[in-house]
Amino acid sequence: MLVPALFGNLYWSHTFHLVNLYVAVAVLQNMLLADAGQVSFGQGAVFGAAGYTVGIAATLLGTSLPLAFLLGLAAALALGCLFALPALRVQGYYLGFVTLSVAMVFPELLVAFSDYTNGVNGIKLQLPALHRPLFAGVTPLSLLVILLACGALAGHGYLRETRLGRRMRVAAASPEAALSLGFSPGGARSAAFFIAALGTGLAGLLYVPVVGFLSPSAFHVELSIFFFFSVIVGGNGRLLGPILGVWILYLVPNVLMVDLVNYRLIGYGLVALGIMLAFPDGLVGTVENALRRRTLKPGDAEVGLQSVMGAAGAADKAPPSAGAAIVEVRAARKRYGQVVALDGVSLTVGRGTVHGLVGPNGSGKTTLLNVLSGFARLDAGAVSIKGVGIARMRPDRIARLGVGRTFQTPRVFDELTIAENVQIGADVAGTRVDDVDPKWRTQRPDQLPHAQRRLLEVLRVIRTGSDVLLLDEPAAGLSAEERREFARLLRHLRDALGKTIVLVEHDLDLVWRVADRITVLDTGTTIAEGAPAEIVGDARVRALFTGKLDA
Amino acid sequence: MDELIIILVRGIGLGAVYALVAISFNVVHNSSGILNFAQGNMLVLGGLFGFFTLTQEPGVASWLVLLPAAALLYAAVLAGQGWITLLPLRSSVEQHSWLITTLAVSVIIGAVILIAQGPFALNVKSPFPSFALLGTRTPAPYAGAVLLALAWCAALHWFHTRTTTGLAMSAIAQDLEAARAVGIRVRRLQIYAFGISGAIVGSAGFVAAPVMSISADSGIIYVVNGFIAAVIGGLGSNAGALVGGALVGVASMWAAFEFGGQFQNAVSLAILIGVLMLRPQGLFGRTAARRV
Amino acid sequence: MLEVRNLDAGYGRVPVLHDISLAVQPGEVVLVLGANGAGKSTLLRAIAGFVRPTRGSVTLGGVDITGHAPEDNARRGLRLVLDGHRVFPDLTVADNMRLGAAVRSDPAAFEALAGPVLDFFPILREKLRQPARDLSGGQQQMLALAQAFVARPSVLLCDEPSLGIAQALIPPILEFLKRWARDGVAVLIVEQQIDRALSIADRALVIERGRVGLSGTAEELKRDPRVQEIYLGVNRGS
Repeated sequence: MLVPALFGNLYWSHTFHLVNLYVAVAVLQNMLLADAGQVSFGQGAVFGAAGYTVGIAATLLGTSLPLAFLLGLAAALALGCLFALPALRVQGYYLGFVTLSVAMVFPELLVAFSDYTNGVNGIKLQLPALHRPLFAGVTPLSLLVILLACGALAGHGYLRETRLGRRMRVAAASPEAALSLGFSPGGARSAAFFIAALGTGLAGLLYVPVVGFLSPSAFHVELSIFFFFSVIVGGNGRLLGPILGVWILYLVPNVLMVDLVNYRLIGYGLVALGIMLAFPDGLVGTVENALRRRTLKPGDAEVGLQSVMGAAGAADKAPPSAGAAIVEVRAARKRYGQVVALDGVSLTVGRGTVHGLVGPNGSGKTTLLNVLSGFARLDAGAVSIKGVGIARMRPDRIARLGVGRTFQTPRVFDELTIAENVQIGADVAGTRVDDVDPKWRTQRPDQLPHAQRRLLEVLRVIRTGSDVLLLDEPAAGLSAEERREFARLLRHLRDALGKTIVLVEHDLDLVWRVADRITVLDTGTTIAEGAPAEIVGDARVRALFTGKLDA
Repeated sequence: MDELIIILVRGIGLGAVYALVAISFNVVHNSSGILNFAQGNMLVLGGLFGFFTLTQEPGVASWLVLLPAAALLYAAVLAGQGWITLLPLRSSVEQHSWLITTLAVSVIIGAVILIAQGPFALNVKSPFPSFALLGTRTPAPYAGAVLLALAWCAALHWFHTRTTTGLAMSAIAQDLEAARAVGIRVRRLQIYAFGISGAIVGSAGFVAAPVMSISADSGIIYVVNGFIAAVIGGLGSNAGALVGGALVGVASMWAAFEFGGQFQNAVSLAILIGVLMLRPQGLFGRTAARRV
Repeated sequence: MLEVRNLDAGYGRVPVLHDISLAVQPGEVVLVLGANGAGKSTLLRAIAGFVRPTRGSVTLGGVDITGHAPEDNARRGLRLVLDGHRVFPDLTVADNMRLGAAVRSDPAAFEALAGPVLDFFPILREKLRQPARDLSGGQQQMLALAQAFVARPSVLLCDEPSLGIAQALIPPILEFLKRWARDGVAVLIVEQQIDRALSIADRALVIERGRVGLSGTAEELKRDPRVQEIYLGVNRGS
């Protein structure tokens, strides 16, 4: 369908033009849904806003054509920003309803403001210059629409290779991971809406010369739903999915079944429903998965400790002298409702040391880690890192101070390759991950065993260049052998790279072996602090972990 | 003055229809976290049931028989839809598959109505005469919708606090895992919830049919306004839905009088965006919109 | 009554349990000990059906229930009381209990069963009409047990009944579990409070990093110094 219409047949060239425009819009819808995780049922309104603004400006307001096109693009971008605004506050079906409402209201307003839009009579605007063949029946318009469709596809592919594209996918999969990597998920989302509005707006501009006539009925809510379903039918997130989706949902009913045009909407609905039930990954997605399964040799790529150590790199400068306090918490208090999670905890972590945080379930370890990374706010007390008070700081700003963290459930993204999973860490430091196993560039982490996924997340945090690392149960689920390797990694980070590590860990054995100092928490208070040798002999600590009352 | 009374009275009546859609959302949402996009078109189908069954001079007796029939019919239809919607969730391949499956069902119903009945709105006669309230004549179905909304609210309250099935449904909303540990058959109750939501919109569509817009493209209007009513009241709160429905209903009546019918939904949209930006958990809500 | 053979289980791709075998007879209290994160809760969840085992089998009274849904297992008489005293906060104490009995449709039996448990925990009788969220943690734990009791399970799994509960309330709760077992129920408890729990248990096993580290009668384990070492993670260089 990307082949120019050589036959000069009006109907065919018209269909060809429209399909290319729709492909462009669907590609951007795909980017919005799959990469940025945003449910928008209102892209048809963005498309229509661009077209209608051109029509209004050029005919009723009598502006020049270039200005009219500029205004049209501006209108699309404005509407895109309007979508991005609630998207900063709410997600999922809330956003779906907001955008659906916009799609519903848009044609109503076109009718309501009939003084400016000619209401249901519509606006006629022909641009014959664009239809004049250049050679062999190829018109400037057909070149433009092909350029747009191909541009959208290439742009989507390119976006995925950029820092912004990676960040969109991270923000969609895990907003907290985004914050811990120092960027705001809302910013990534807004960027996605802006880019989608840009491309959709351009398609809307070209709609004017393609059709030559604008009427409110062309931009009904069905148009928005058609764009959305095209993505689903083709396969959410597959680069080529939207092309197939548009072909099936547009060409089949409009070309092959012209006599049944009334049944078009039923077709949309049934195809979308059937695909969702039978092929949840869409048509292209299902084929891709099948091919992948056939070619995949399990356990191929590996994220072993050696590769992590290698990729972690050597110190580019001598580690700063150990000992000086880098993390300080004083009299921290935090309550959740009736539960007091932290009740006057103080903590000092020396630069270039490994500090263990241990305690039973609910003792406040993870809360303390969340306070240090900005995910929880203290009710009282002070906390500073590198001498900067961070008690009121947002997590992404704390991350930019050079504080990296991992999570209890590793935030490893199966939508990205293994190398990209590391690259999103390196993006923070502005470096490239180029010294890795080439298999990491093609394979995704979904086949990695759990221990390697944890290592992958740790590697990512190392590559952010953060000098304070907060690790939340990094050894959970590791085998005895892996645990020993992991202890070596921690020592390497401390001794060779001068990292400061705060380690929350259930596995006391590991903590005793690698920590320089240990803080033992119970029900939000510090019950012991000291070197491992002191802690292990402490009667209260023994009592805490064994529940003995007579200790 | 008269205008104000008409706006208030009919707005509250219209709002009761929105509230009924909102309550039907709540029933399904509380048990499964799903919001059924097809609920608006199901309401229209309830109205269509009235169109086909009520004659030119409908009698009160037949109306009284047809009302529970409408509720039962759409309870069955929605239970079926619920079963389909929950199917892909069994494997939890795509967690938001319901966004698409329920929207698809909504599109299909709209298209079927369009093919069967054409693009024009249908008129349904009410067996009850209009009544005088505060000096204005008001069509009976407005009062009927208000009574029905109150009745469903009371019935659901009784159901959720007095019957074992209702208690179990509340339990699912409060702690899904603990409910399964107790032995509550979650999937079955979720399908029941879909069925109850069908009885609500089916009966609502039937009662409000004479004052409702029954056409292929009005389903989406009701689903959006119902959602706005639910969000204002706080998703999950039926009492909140009554208040939210009344607010949206009066606002959109006012918009229709002040600016014209085409602005009704624009005003609703403005309210929705306002509520989501200022108070996403709604007036009475306990669970906030997911904020990140 | 309950038999677990060579069980492997985990969350997603996180393996937690390896080759766990155990059996609990009617009238017996078996205690599962282990350090934080050793896999105790996962074991109960895998038996109850919340976590699908990757290998091995679970049989209840000779019937294979491996991988069955937790709600079906509860109806078959295998009841898990989750950790963190989870009851339904918006329902009253009475309704919480009523829901517990709902799986065994027999209203007369409910009255007969609710009586003794309310006698044992009189505070629940006092607060019968109050929503469960107004109860303290310990009272909620009593309610959770009462809710399970009226379902008359043949096997009871109880995950850390003492977690987050005032010290004074722990002995009556453990005592209740012991008496319940004497009525012919097979009871499997996970606990952190070693000494207290061992005093009501008949047998115990210690889970160490997902495997059975030690097992024996409660008396044997009370005297075994290795139990504490496992909890502290020392001197057992792995």
